Amino acid sequence: MGEFADSTTDFSAPAMVEGIAQVVAVEGNMAWLVPEQTSSCGACASASACGAKGIGTTASRLELRRFQLVNNSNLAVGERVIVGIRENALLRASITAYVIPLTTLLTAGALAQWAIGRDVVTMAAMFAGLALGLWFARIGAGRLLVRGDLAPRFLRRASAGETCNLE
Amino acid sequence: MKEYILLMISAALVNNVILARFLGLCSFMGVTTRIDTAVGMGMATTFVITVSSMADWVVEAYLLQPYGLGYLRTVTFILVIAAAVQFTEMIVKKVSPPLFQMLGIYLPLITTNCAVLGVALLLVEGRMNFIGATLFAFASSIGYSMVMVIFAGLRERMALADIPRLFAGPPIGFIVASLLALAFMGFSGMSTS
Repeated sequence: MGEFADSTTDFSAPAMVEGIAQVVAVEGNMAWLVPEQTSSCGACASASACGAKGIGTTASRLELRRFQLVNNSNLAVGERVIVGIRENALLRASITAYVIPLTTLLTAGALAQWAIGRDVVTMAAMFAGLALGLWFARIGAGRLLVRGDLAPRFLRRASAGETCNLE
Repeated sequence: MKEYILLMISAALVNNVILARFLGLCSFMGVTTRIDTAVGMGMATTFVITVSSMADWVVEAYLLQPYGLGYLRTVTFILVIAAAVQFTEMIVKKVSPPLFQMLGIYLPLITTNCAVLGVALLLVEGRMNFIGATLFAFASSIGYSMVMVIFAGLRERMALADIPRLFAGPPIGFIVASLLALAFMGFSGMSTS
């Protein structure tokens, strides 16, 4: 607190969302990593009283989020590294996963209500709209994947004692 | 049409889930340290609130009310919300595993978000039709996301400000949240005439 960004900070560079991950396996020139950050709130000081504590933190859940990186930096199993994704990539991913299906769902429901006006028909139309939206989302996610927007990048090795609260 | 627009404005701004009904305060304080996490959480919550409210409306209209099971409402709604979160997680994972790896972190947090249950219970009180209930839930969650992003932006600015040590962190966060709530009270004076 109370510290201002120094004059050498490059504000034109794309902002990155950073997180800590641990290398769990190395296969050829690829490294498998598991994210270390256990919750999106970064485990605050009041974690002991927080209902979110423990959710999404079990080994199995973290294992589900295992990802791969090209091992250009000779990473070894057990090493902790800082990985990042572009801030706008997170926004695009959120729009693809949630906004597209929600838009088609609501549009289909509104049209059905306006045209027919019966709850059962509106429900069926919304369900169809949701399915259509998920199909669009799948196409959109495929495009993001091809552009490499969904892949985390290796930034640096984490220093000893560095925590997930990167602020 | 006009009544649906008024319903949505009322749900998003006048009776904002966070600032007027004081629901979802844990995520409001916990996930608003950065704008990107607030946006991710906001969008995921918007999707889950809308989908789970639709499911809750169906359960209420076709199961709880006809069979006089109103006393099971809270338990049933919690079950429906948990199922909706699980469904969303499965769908995102199926649609795109890389998307799930990127966004999956927010979904389990939503299960414990009282705003989701709060909106579902408000729907029952409102006695709305299906489309009205869906639009109310959607607008409520848009109001939730909007406040999350505004507050995250303010907190990012505060991180660069020279705040006295006594007020640094959550204390100044709560003061700013109260000022934001006061600002939103201005919407209660809106008139359609």
